[in-house]
Amino acid sequence: MKNILKSIVFVLILFLLVTLISSLLLPHDSVRKYGIIKTSVYEILGEKEDSIDAVVIGDSLIYSGISPMEIWHNYGITVFDLAKSAELISSSYKNFEMAIKSQHPKLIFFEGNVLYRESKNKPWFYVWEELYKTYFPITKYHNNWKKYLFTNLNDSMNYSKINIYKGFKYITKTKPGKKLDYMKEKDKIEVPKENQEYFQKIYDLCQKNNVRLVLISTPNMKSWNYGKYLGTKDLALKYNLEYIDLNINNPLNIDWKTESRDAGSHLNYKGALKLSQFIGKYLKETNLFTDKREDSNYASWNEAYEIYKEGLK
Amino acid sequence: MEKLIEILEELNPDVDYENCENLVDGRYLDSLTILSLISEIEDNFGVVIPTVEIIPDNFNSAKKIWALITKLEEE
Amino acid sequence: MSYFDVIYFLAFLPGLIIIYNLLPKKIKPFILLLASFAFFFTYSKWLIIFILLSSLSIYLAGLTMQKIDKEKKDAIKDLEIEEKKIIKAKYLNKKKIVLIITALFNIAFLFYFKYLGFFKGIINSLLKIFNINGNLKIIHHLAPIGISFYTLSAISYLIDVYHEKYECENNYFKILLYLIFFPTLVEGPITRYNEVRDTLFTGNKTTYKSFCFGYQRILYGLFKKIVIADRLNIFVKIIFTDYMHFSGPIIFLGAIFYTILLYMEFSGTMDIVIGSAEIFGIIIPENFKQPFFSKNISEFWSRWHITLGLWFKDYIFYPVSLSKGVKKITSKIKELFGPRTSSLFMGAIALFAVWSLNGLWHGAGYQFLFFGYYHFILILLGNIFEPLIVKICHKLKINRENFLYKLIRIIKTCLLIFIGELFFRANSLTSGIEMMKRIITNFTFKGFNHAVLTLGLDIKDYIIITLSLIFILVISILKEKNIEVRESLSKKHIVIRWACYYALILSIIVFGAYGEGYVPVEPIYADF
Repeated sequence: MKNILKSIVFVLILFLLVTLISSLLLPHDSVRKYGIIKTSVYEILGEKEDSIDAVVIGDSLIYSGISPMEIWHNYGITVFDLAKSAELISSSYKNFEMAIKSQHPKLIFFEGNVLYRESKNKPWFYVWEELYKTYFPITKYHNNWKKYLFTNLNDSMNYSKINIYKGFKYITKTKPGKKLDYMKEKDKIEVPKENQEYFQKIYDLCQKNNVRLVLISTPNMKSWNYGKYLGTKDLALKYNLEYIDLNINNPLNIDWKTESRDAGSHLNYKGALKLSQFIGKYLKETNLFTDKREDSNYASWNEAYEIYKEGLK
Repeated sequence: MEKLIEILEELNPDVDYENCENLVDGRYLDSLTILSLISEIEDNFGVVIPTVEIIPDNFNSAKKIWALITKLEEE
Repeated sequence: MSYFDVIYFLAFLPGLIIIYNLLPKKIKPFILLLASFAFFFTYSKWLIIFILLSSLSIYLAGLTMQKIDKEKKDAIKDLEIEEKKIIKAKYLNKKKIVLIITALFNIAFLFYFKYLGFFKGIINSLLKIFNINGNLKIIHHLAPIGISFYTLSAISYLIDVYHEKYECENNYFKILLYLIFFPTLVEGPITRYNEVRDTLFTGNKTTYKSFCFGYQRILYGLFKKIVIADRLNIFVKIIFTDYMHFSGPIIFLGAIFYTILLYMEFSGTMDIVIGSAEIFGIIIPENFKQPFFSKNISEFWSRWHITLGLWFKDYIFYPVSLSKGVKKITSKIKELFGPRTSSLFMGAIALFAVWSLNGLWHGAGYQFLFFGYYHFILILLGNIFEPLIVKICHKLKINRENFLYKLIRIIKTCLLIFIGELFFRANSLTSGIEMMKRIITNFTFKGFNHAVLTLGLDIKDYIIITLSLIFILVISILKEKNIEVRESLSKKHIVIRWACYYALILSIIVFGAYGEGYVPVEPIYADF
């Protein structure tokens, strides 16, 4: 009995220490305001308030395909990927609701794949990932010790408390995709009822905050098809929204042999360069945004880009 | 027993065989030396040492080696 | 599921410990068996059939050999000595047939999964030389996890039962658990049946002490792997893929780093393996004994991957060197050149066999064979020159127990080991040779500092590596002096003790080389 008590005390102290160190190492400016757990799940809360121009809501397609740092480097527009693996539209809504508390983006992209994912129980490893991201955010940001220790040493790399990827995941693996006729004509597939309800909520939230909402379907030969394209087009018509499809006739010229990481379902870094370039150009052409590369308020973005660039192979 | 000590000393003179208890574990006898030792023993005592008997426990001291030889002679 | 997965040590193991301790003693070993099935399944799915076949085959062979022994005893009961010998030989032959068939049955699987491609390749290139067009198709098979390890364990059981070293096992499940036991399944140690049976099947309860000690050991292993090995991996990977772009000293540094990485990865895994088993009161033999304190190569191999070395010694080295054929040849040499030369010759033949197999066991590839023969030659040379060196030292009045002399020998051994591991890690034998060439012909320190700091590790990483290695070194020296670190720590005041644990856990979490930007080392030995 004594030993069990001892073990419990041991674990409690450990938790305390981990939390303590976490609060030191987390990259977020807003950690104090939103707390460790929230900022680790809703990464966007860590960004400076009102600093994000545009947000992309989606799933793994987005964090594999759109790199905000590339857009920043080329256009000086701040984009954030609000995306998790196998995201359900219900949690997309929740994330968006949370994000809008501290950010007021002028434009939001909504990725079509999420419209069609029906609520099943999430695979256990996502649940697991979520769990320890929530309670042990330090596992993601532990490397920030370099910011604090041995600081008297001159170092070629500049580590900082900033989040350098802004939701993107840098993956260079290549596995060719072969299903080149994936957009052949097919009957329309309706967006599931329940998901439509959530979309309505997202739409309402955008209206309320005066955000332009744009539907997009990014290159994806595994789960996208013509039927879903028609369904999404219907949805866009219903709400009178712009819909960008990047699948029919391959407008981005994605080379599926070298620009997918897993046989056509996700883009790899090479493919992400093309998609990011497209998004950046699109945003610029809306004339909603100014180029902030020279703006000293956004120095941390330039700093982040330098580190991001170092990390590219 | 004396004959055995004589053989051992020829192989590695730096060891006090009367008292050493860790000939193998202390690496005084490595596997090649054990081979020479075995062939010497087989020639001098007319026994055949089967491979199963070559375990550290049987070779860790002169006494133990001697015990092994006597045991094999009896068989 | 790898031993370094968070899921392994924070979910699988704790869950198992709870279930294991809730159930009655008799059922406990079955829980371990079920857990091992699940563990195996996460790696190799239905290939589990092969380990079932292997265990079944040695189980039946054991029973058969025992039966033959019994029949023999009945048959020779009332016979004269001369007749006894003849009958004995007859039964021995019968047993030998059982042994050989079963051993071949097991080796055939190993060969099929691991070596078929390699040998087909050799045949193909032979055919090419003679201009015959008969390309054999090389198919890469996914092998059952741990096959190289459990096959050796299985064979050791067969041979030991054959020699009547111990009684054979009457319970099939025990044999199965012996081969499939999840901690030792993936990377060994290669256990012997009589070594583990005393604790493996008793169903010992987890005590507070065994729980703490086990997890401490697991933590120590995690530290070695995650803080050191995974960090060094960044540098090593670049050097071994792009060696053409680097100067000699950098490549050599790569070899040193790889050797350290390999040690940290492999011995770290062993810490987790032995620690995991300890929690269930099961004693697994050690696989490492401070190998980098070795004074020569043969000593190194008695401290590094100990259980593999012992396996080769017991089941290849002595049987070959003391076989009738070898003995016949050596007795002639003995007459001509004396006993020292003859036993050296005898040993050389056996060593050659051992190191050919050792090389092949590590992988089907020429670089692994080279790795084997490299050590064969070093050990042989060591033995040939040993008496000469002893004599010279005697004449020069050098004390061989002197610290400086020992240190020089240790450094020499390490340098030789680094070179061996360079070939071991090289992508092929030719790239290994190219790397060696560059080390010798391109030995310039120009641009050394720059290269060292731009290959993925920065100064802060090097500081962490150095501090961690000093930590490991101190513990190794204590162990070498026979001080049980865990025991002496457990006697310290609770504040000191806990501070140590927290420091270890937090340093793994904070300084570990995991997450974005790091690629963990693949479990190196799991592929063998």
